[in-house]
Amino acid sequence: MIILDSVTKKFGSFTAVDNISYSIKKGESFALLGPNGAGKTTIVRMLLDFIKPSSGSITIDEMSSSNPESRKHIGYVAEQHMIPPYLSGLEYLLRNASLIGLTGQDAKNEIDRVLEMVSMKGEERKKSSAYSKGMKQRIGLGAALLGQPKLLILDEPVTGLDPIGIRDVRKTLEILRDKGLTVILNSHLLSEVEKTCDTAAIMYKGKILVKDTINAILKDHETLEDVFFRYIEHENE
Amino acid sequence: MNNVIKITAYTMRDQLRHKSFYVLLGLSILFILMIRGCYDGGYTVNGEMVNNATVAWHVSKIVFHLIAAGMFLMVSMLSMKIFSRDHEDGSVVLFLSRSVSRWQYVLGRVTGTWVLCLVFMFILHLTIFLTVWAKTGAFISGYLSASLICSINLLFVIACVCFLSLYLPDFISALFTMGILFVGFISDGGYQILNSDIVRSAVSSTINADPALWRVLYPKVFMVQSYADTILGKSEFHNMGPLHPLLNLFFYILLIMTLLLVCFNKKEI
Repeated sequence: MIILDSVTKKFGSFTAVDNISYSIKKGESFALLGPNGAGKTTIVRMLLDFIKPSSGSITIDEMSSSNPESRKHIGYVAEQHMIPPYLSGLEYLLRNASLIGLTGQDAKNEIDRVLEMVSMKGEERKKSSAYSKGMKQRIGLGAALLGQPKLLILDEPVTGLDPIGIRDVRKTLEILRDKGLTVILNSHLLSEVEKTCDTAAIMYKGKILVKDTINAILKDHETLEDVFFRYIEHENE
Repeated sequence: MNNVIKITAYTMRDQLRHKSFYVLLGLSILFILMIRGCYDGGYTVNGEMVNNATVAWHVSKIVFHLIAAGMFLMVSMLSMKIFSRDHEDGSVVLFLSRSVSRWQYVLGRVTGTWVLCLVFMFILHLTIFLTVWAKTGAFISGYLSASLICSINLLFVIACVCFLSLYLPDFISALFTMGILFVGFISDGGYQILNSDIVRSAVSSTINADPALWRVLYPKVFMVQSYADTILGKSEFHNMGPLHPLLNLFFYILLIMTLLLVCFNKKEI
């Protein structure tokens, strides 16, 4: 479904992503792990064509990521999801629904469905300026789930969420994984990744140190956290 | 194309939510209310009463240009923040994370702002047109078509401010555009004055002086305004150079919009 082929991204003399190649299969629940500045968000931004790779190519569903059609079935939640302050949650969702071609009763039904999923039913008519960080994140996740996307890209989706919110997001991700949705998850919460993802890659200084299934990465009662620190410390030696 | 129409409609709705729009609307209503008084009084020049319709025609002509000039300020204010505000409030991510291409986003934002300002200016001109009709019973033919011609100037201003705002701070990009208009006002305005009937009859030599090439090629915003003025007054239009000002401005709008689309396409979100 997604192929990154020798992708490099440089910002001036700084190399944020260094010659990365990997692929994500349809239905795979993939986690991108790494400390701040590892290049995880840069990869997400390249997938969405917010920035162009300095070299290499990205293919989504056999289409170049620079083709807007490649984003037709993508749902995206940013690290700190922003919603225009003059829009209510409902207006934001209606706008998203319209952009993916849902109108009228279809849009209303779909919005009701996602509002239930993200536990925001009853809060949707408030202006987004009145929302907490967590509420914005939930509405963002709801917008990403509109129209049954084939690929969900979540960049630190639980940032700002309380423990209940984190649990809700995890449950939602588990449901989506079981439905066969392809998920790319950028997260610092390694315990959540362990519970929700099939495969993971650990990134450090723009390079992928390891990419495999979670079960293959973990050895002898290790947690993902142990593995993560083992790789990072090994790189720092 | 469907996405362009959607974004155009969103842009109009979004602009209508901003307080600055209502401040400008309030000021415009105040201005129109003040102007209404000019059509009521009886005017005497050299002891003779002046025809009401003549006064109304002259006042309306001045007001026409005042509204058009005021609109330059309004479109600059509305368009200078299009991209920076979208970046700050997440609108750009909302659109571009969907299957919307960058050219559709830019075109939708520019068209939405232009259509809103065009309608706003047309309503103001229509109000003056109807006021003259109600007060004097006379129609100023060409008043509304002249308004539509002047709206091309607004598109130029929006395109220019948007393009500059990709590289300059918002306020500076608006100020820079006003500077471009001011230089054109001096250059084209001077040309119009030198070619006016009064100056022609007084100083015949000046009309033979060919304007410098840069003045001929410069964006003809003021000339378009003058052209609209000749439609109002049914007077002769003195063009500078071989190209009609409307064609000159169309060329500049096309050029700036192309640059805007190319540069925005390279921009990192």
